[in-house]
Amino acid sequence: MRYLIILISMFITTAVFSQNFTTDIATAKTSYSSGNLEDAHFALQQAMQEIDIIIGKQVISLLPANMGNFVANTKDDNVMSNVGFMGSTIHRTWGQNDSVDVSIIGNSPLITTLNVFLNTPLLGGMMSNGNNKIIKIQGYKGQLTKSDEGNGQFNYTIQIPLASSLVTFTAKNTTDTQITTWANTLPLQQIAKLLQ
Amino acid sequence: MCLLKKTTLLLFLCVMCFTLTSHAQLLKKLKDKVNNAVSGNSSTNQSQSTDANTSSSTSSGSPTNTKGGGLTNTTPPDVNQQIADAEKSQAAGDYSDARYSIQQALMGVELQIGKQVLQSLPATVSGLQKDTMQNKVMSTQWGWNNLTIQSVYKKADQQLTVTIGNNTMYSGFIDLYFNNSMYTQTNSDGKNQNVKQTKVKSYKAVITYDDSKGYTLLVPLGQSSLIVWECLNFATEQDVMNAANSFDIDGIKKMLGEQ
Repeated sequence: MRYLIILISMFITTAVFSQNFTTDIATAKTSYSSGNLEDAHFALQQAMQEIDIIIGKQVISLLPANMGNFVANTKDDNVMSNVGFMGSTIHRTWGQNDSVDVSIIGNSPLITTLNVFLNTPLLGGMMSNGNNKIIKIQGYKGQLTKSDEGNGQFNYTIQIPLASSLVTFTAKNTTDTQITTWANTLPLQQIAKLLQ
Repeated sequence: MCLLKKTTLLLFLCVMCFTLTSHAQLLKKLKDKVNNAVSGNSSTNQSQSTDANTSSSTSSGSPTNTKGGGLTNTTPPDVNQQIADAEKSQAAGDYSDARYSIQQALMGVELQIGKQVLQSLPATVSGLQKDTMQNKVMSTQWGWNNLTIQSVYKKADQQLTVTIGNNTMYSGFIDLYFNNSMYTQTNSDGKNQNVKQTKVKSYKAVITYDDSKGYTLLVPLGQSSLIVWECLNFATEQDVMNAANSFDIDGIKKMLGEQ
């Protein structure tokens, strides 16, 4: 029943956004044909933001409902669009106190640095301090980082670049094997296809 | 004991380095032998190609580019077509393609805005002629923040380059300057002031002077745009101000959609 409600609400949201998209595109067309380029530009930007949000919601719908025993906090699902320096941001958490967390940022400024790190073995070796290593998740290269919380807990983060987007997957108080298993449940190939 | 360990480690590293060097030398010798053998077989071909390319070869033998007509100018994206494509893709649920088409449409609109701005610039400034070969409009597909328009004016040894950019980073930098009195008093040696605030047609501006670069005048426009005039071999600061005053800053600001 709960999934049915989620599906219906997603359909309604998409329908509302589609309506805004149609309005924005109509404004863009009218403004462009009347030579009002600045207004046409603004309307196209609005349309792009709406597309970003629709894409984000589709990505959210692909994310697993559970991470081990942790259930997704669907009410906290978040998609944000930001035309300009950074693209859209997609965010979901699982479990109490956000034990597992994924954020996908389009046009992330960190992508270049991470790609250099992942594709330069010498640099990867030099910058490695024993708390990070390069791994592969479903064929995609990524960086696994371990951080000590000081109370005997270890948090792990996996960062995977997908084209110009950055997937950051974090799990609290866990092991590297566990986070890798969970990361493998993310449908990365389908997400990459939507975000390309 | 610790010293012994360190010495052993150092010796080990030295031996490793020596081994690597000798391996590299051995490999180089092998490579040379193979090259000699191969070049022996194809000496005729090589001599022919060397003759043909003598004028365009570097000392290492690899050719340098001396031909080629460059890239042909492509028309900017057709905005109406891209909007139609975006609608079609969106209706079919293909959002990735819809986004791409909107990006292309945005780029097309930006290039048109850029061209309008270029056309609105004066043909001559303080006797310097506009070099129409150096007009540039550049837009990336990242939306509004990366539109750059450039035009160059020349006369004898004088040159004025005007660059109009739309990038939040520039404007933020200049605002920092205006809002921080510490920077405004910057002197190079305590005698000559090489950076100072001024005004161009009631717009706040910063003018700088450098012996090697000449005068540079910066005027931020609205929230995220900036006009930069780079003046080479201009005699006085007043000459630069006169040149800048002949530009329709209000018009440019309006075309860029700034308030």
